[in-house]
Amino acid sequence: MSIGCRSLRVTDRGGELLAVDFLEVADGETLAVLGPNGAGKSTLLRALAHLEPRAARAEVLLDGEPAAPAQLRTAVAAVLQRPVLQRTSVLDNAAAGLRLRGTPRARARRLARPWLDALGIAHLADRHARTLSGGEAQRVAIARALAVESRVLLLDEPFAGLDATTRADLIADLRTALDRSTAAVVLVTHDRDEAAALAHRTALLLRGRIRQLGTTADVLDSPADPECARLLGYTTHLPPELTGHDVLLVARPERCRLLAVTDPATTRRIKWGVAPAGTEVVVPGTLRRVVPLGGTTRVDVDTAAGSVAVLTTAEVTTAPGGPVCVAVDARDARECPPPG
Amino acid sequence: MLLDGLLQAVRMLLTGDEDTWSITALTLRVSLTATTVALLLGVPLGTALALGRFPGRRMLLAAANTGMGLPPVVVGLFVTVLLWRSGPLGAFGLLYSSTAMVVAQALIATPIVSALTAAALQQVDPDFLLQMRALGATRARALRALLAEARLPLLAAALAGFGAVVSEVGAAQMVGGNIAGQTRVLTTAAVLATSRGQFALAIAFGLVLLAIAFAVNLFVTLAQQRDSRPSS
Repeated sequence: MSIGCRSLRVTDRGGELLAVDFLEVADGETLAVLGPNGAGKSTLLRALAHLEPRAARAEVLLDGEPAAPAQLRTAVAAVLQRPVLQRTSVLDNAAAGLRLRGTPRARARRLARPWLDALGIAHLADRHARTLSGGEAQRVAIARALAVESRVLLLDEPFAGLDATTRADLIADLRTALDRSTAAVVLVTHDRDEAAALAHRTALLLRGRIRQLGTTADVLDSPADPECARLLGYTTHLPPELTGHDVLLVARPERCRLLAVTDPATTRRIKWGVAPAGTEVVVPGTLRRVVPLGGTTRVDVDTAAGSVAVLTTAEVTTAPGGPVCVAVDARDARECPPPG
Repeated sequence: MLLDGLLQAVRMLLTGDEDTWSITALTLRVSLTATTVALLLGVPLGTALALGRFPGRRMLLAAANTGMGLPPVVVGLFVTVLLWRSGPLGAFGLLYSSTAMVVAQALIATPIVSALTAAALQQVDPDFLLQMRALGATRARALRALLAEARLPLLAAALAGFGAVVSEVGAAQMVGGNIAGQTRVLTTAAVLATSRGQFALAIAFGLVLLAIAFAVNLFVTLAQQRDSRPSS
């Protein structure tokens, strides 16, 4: 079953929080809604489940047809950002979604058990929910929603607040679990790695508007405008006046290199902006600061058009105030037209 | 004298003094009925106070909290005036009956149950109802899950209401009249026995009241221990 919405508007105290003209997620498909904090991601998710009290106008579609609240209630299961568990055992928590839908206790427990296994917490089945760690609790919350076997699954930043290892393990387990499911899944996240790992398509949500929508690979690789580029990690922005290019070029800072200007080859390339062979973009500037970040070093370079950041693993020999160049391989730079 | 009275009281209870047991039975009947009425009124009221979004909610919550300290004598006076032969409800002829005592005690217990219910529900995660509904629960089922989640503090609310009414004497005396065999309960009987100098009898009534209080608290404590103990 597909879920979608048409002419969705959420307003609060006169301000428009969310405006989505059309969105649809097909059966068996996972859509990631990627956006910064406060973009309206959770609001969108709650509006899709008819759980958003501020939704002024929302036509939620199931299989392309407007859905009544009762239909939505049975079709949708949602996992909130923070796991809210009941004061009972892990197994009974996992069975709670089914119980809330009227399934008898014994049957609900039987149906829930395989999902505990799928999420790697079968050994915790008899534990009290209050003794769980954050990661374990989130696994229970996800198992509880999956056990319902609803046709639509809504996940609101299910990995928020988990440490890196726990998060990576849970993403892998969730991926396997979703592969078993035929539900239409909407995953709200601010992390592009989660989108890349789990979603077939990705929508970028900024200030309550969907700014870009496409396959996850396409969206992550080709930002539609400068703001989308920043959201996707293309935070090094090289405007036309620096590069001689027609449009803004954007790149990931870890794909940029720092060059010392003493290299004669570099000086020649600086003159051109875009290297003669067309393989590298080089921008001159002044090194402002060097910030060691453990494995890498962040270098901020002041250019004629503002500050540019580079992440490098190489040793930085130039002192702050010294002349440097930022180089980006053409394959790593993306053309980014202004919005509109 | 105290020790002597205590020994006589224990003897009286062990030998099964008929009056004492009938008074105990009436006390339990009146107070349990009043507590049940208070629960039927107070739990929905407390739920509305905890979850509702309506003007005046905070005022009502403050009123319920104040009502927890409602002096039984004031309630007794109020109910007496209402039920007095020439009062607004005088036609029912309920004054000096166990029904009047139930009404008065329910009025004492309802604010206690309401305020403690509101507090109990406000302690549960604020996203609890949303998460239950997000799993496909109807509003009614989600609410039932919320009440189940707060079952221990709700049990404590019920027992606080019961404790308040079983031990009060002012309202029971005023609206019941302490009529032997009809409206005499443990507290009013103890007051009467003391005023007559029958200390052993008064102590016996006191002991029964204490035993009821202990049994009730033991029950709550055991329930809480059993429910909150993680299995590992």
